[in-house]
Amino acid sequence: MKIDKKEKAVVVIGSGPGGAQVAYQLTKQGIPVVLLEAGRRIMKEEYVNEEWPAFSQMAWLDKRTMSGNARIVQDFNGLPTWLVKAVGGTATHWAGATPRFLDYEWKTKSTYGSVDGATLMDWPIDGKEMKPYYVKAEDAIGSTHRGGRPPLPANNNYKVFAEGAKRNGYKFYATGPYGTNAAPYDGRPASIQDGFNFQGDKNGSKWNPNVSEIPKALATGKLELRTNSQAVQITTDSSGKADGVLYMDTKTKALHRQEAKVICVAGNSIETPRLFLMSASSRFPNGLANSSDQVGRNYMRHLTGSVYATFDKPVNFFRGETMAGFLADEVKHNPKRGFVGGYYLETLALGPSFLGAFLDPGKWGKKFADMMDGYQNMAGMWIVGEDMPQANNRITLGSAKDAFGLPAPNVHFDDHPNDTAMRNHAYEKGEAIYKAVGATQTYRVTPYPHTHNLGSMRMSAKAKDGVVDKWGRCHDVKNLFVSDGSVMTTGAACNPTLTITALAIRQGEYLADQLKKGNV
Amino acid sequence: MKITRRELLISAGSLLAYSQLGSLANAEVNIAAQPGDQEMIASMCKALYPHDRFPMSIYMDVAAGAIKKGNADTGAKISFRAGLDGLKINKFDKMNFKKQTKYLKSIANTPFFGLVRGHTVVALYDHKEVHKIFGYQGASFDKGGYKDGEYNDLSWLPEPRIEEHPDLTAFLDDSSPKKYASLKIKKTF
Ligand SMILES: Cc1cc2nc3c(=O)[nH]c(=O)nc-3n(C[C@H](O)[C@H](O)[C@H](O)COP(=O)(O)OP(=O)(O)OC[C@H]3O[C@@H](n4cnc5c(N)ncnc54)[C@H](O)[C@@H]3O)c2cc1C
Repeated sequence: MKIDKKEKAVVVIGSGPGGAQVAYQLTKQGIPVVLLEAGRRIMKEEYVNEEWPAFSQMAWLDKRTMSGNARIVQDFNGLPTWLVKAVGGTATHWAGATPRFLDYEWKTKSTYGSVDGATLMDWPIDGKEMKPYYVKAEDAIGSTHRGGRPPLPANNNYKVFAEGAKRNGYKFYATGPYGTNAAPYDGRPASIQDGFNFQGDKNGSKWNPNVSEIPKALATGKLELRTNSQAVQITTDSSGKADGVLYMDTKTKALHRQEAKVICVAGNSIETPRLFLMSASSRFPNGLANSSDQVGRNYMRHLTGSVYATFDKPVNFFRGETMAGFLADEVKHNPKRGFVGGYYLETLALGPSFLGAFLDPGKWGKKFADMMDGYQNMAGMWIVGEDMPQANNRITLGSAKDAFGLPAPNVHFDDHPNDTAMRNHAYEKGEAIYKAVGATQTYRVTPYPHTHNLGSMRMSAKAKDGVVDKWGRCHDVKNLFVSDGSVMTTGAACNPTLTITALAIRQGEYLADQLKKGNV
Repeated sequence: MKITRRELLISAGSLLAYSQLGSLANAEVNIAAQPGDQEMIASMCKALYPHDRFPMSIYMDVAAGAIKKGNADTGAKISFRAGLDGLKINKFDKMNFKKQTKYLKSIANTPFFGLVRGHTVVALYDHKEVHKIFGYQGASFDKGGYKDGEYNDLSWLPEPRIEEHPDLTAFLDDSSPKKYASLKIKKTF
């Protein structure tokens, strides 16, 4: 469908899990949508099953800077995050783990109490309200182990992980839930164990919006998908309502304007606040919808870290699905461990190309080379846990400029002592798993560039405490919504995309209803 | 080892600049054009990431790429030239491994070191022959994926359960704030 730029349209910015889902929910109900996506559309035939070429094919490489005490600031200063600029968003890269928030994780302030230096806050919504949306999200993604869908089989990496977990007395391990089909589902085939999930998945067994919500929304005839179209400013009318989006053709650098009656922003937790800050005006001098001064703050990236181990026998952990092992025993809040919140352990295999770059950034010498040399006998897992929101972990407009002359975002990130304590606990437990099955060498790996980017536009009951209300609607600008993981008040221990999807379905249904009633 | 900021910036830079890596064999040589220069850099690459199993030809490929980067702009040229001179004067390639390591530590803050190390860690472990030596088979899509009996051929451990434990749901659901609210964490940080 072609929508006139002068027509006051519903405009969605960003086509990742958040934006694509909202666009699909609206178009499904007959509401026309303009979807602006900064990247291009890469079809699965084009995906490359090699780590670096695939990375350069789709990663968001526009200029960004970093500050703070976290090691990532030193290791990968120009590359704070690992995000995708393409239709389908970062889910083109995603591995597919789909755990839910635990009920109390919606209410961490009430549950954990006050933690010094952390800006914990309860979400204005709870687990009971979200439950039906989680079911819808799992069905949309096709999560294994859920809705009667079968589990993925055990690959070699999982065999090591599961047996080591068992010998440590753990119970709650399984090969999922994951958003990669173990059996054909929703028109997509079962996994052929060809790995390369991070590189897009040529087989199309892995869910991502580019193979699901985007084609479905296009099929309604109500979607206009504009690729290579990067939003650079949201404009407002004299009453303070959003009335248009200025966006740039990333190829020609020409600037366009789309008139808008409702705008949903889903550019992920760096680009979304950046766009709001770049939309400052005389009416909104601190950035759009920023009377709370919370735009850009409380940015979270999850705990993360990895443990790799080598054995005296072959593992060949790179064969089959990239991630297909999941352990929940350490997820429950138990302050006796010396920290609040909890974490999951998830199997993960990297090829030698990525492993060399990420095993121990900056390191060299014999110990490093020996670890790499054990590649064939290696197993690996990733840690994902709740990190503390902090007011000064923050996205701001830096003094550096990107290639378009726009202010590059600066990402400030300090590790909170709770993050460090939890990571050390997880390293120990991860090593114990591998030692129980005969590891000859274990290696603690520092966080990669951030894959889970959360917070920075937090949801709050009161306008003074956050940017958006319980529907993701800006407290200050009533026809402006945020539809991505940046709305997360706190991040919980779980991988975020199922929750982003559930929130986007809920928001899409609400917005469709409001539009039909003429309330926006 | 203390890691300098500059060196790490270069390691991040080497990721961003990956697409400029180009063909490793086609080094355009301005600096490091003397006979033996590539061998000298290769000996440094090997001392940085020593693998007895790798033939010297792999380190020579990696060195060619580093030299290409050393010629990328004037700033790189002058620092590369100085660094290479240092290796030559000290006869780095003739040192034993221990001495080489000591020497590398002494130059670890130089841009030359940062460039060569940052390049080597990416180019070496991305090298097709290294993948072969490591037993990494890579892409399998064209062959229909890894087969049953391949992706799960590990036989030195028992077959694990793949389904979730029957108690998992109860474990995850048993999480009402009320229950945990009494466990106030001590403010130790
Ligand atoms: C390697 C890797 C593995 C992962 N594994 C998992 C996992 O197992 N489980 C899990 O839950 N999550 C995982 N994730 C995280 C997951 O990919 C993200 O949570 C998810 O994609 C976020 O969705 P989003 O819609 O908020 O943002 P994104 O998916 O990042 O989409 C944002 C989109 O907006 C576009 N955009 C940004 N700014 C603009 C602008 N100004 N104008 C127009 N378009 C714009 C971007 O190009 C992008 O396409 C993984 C991520 C990575 C990198």
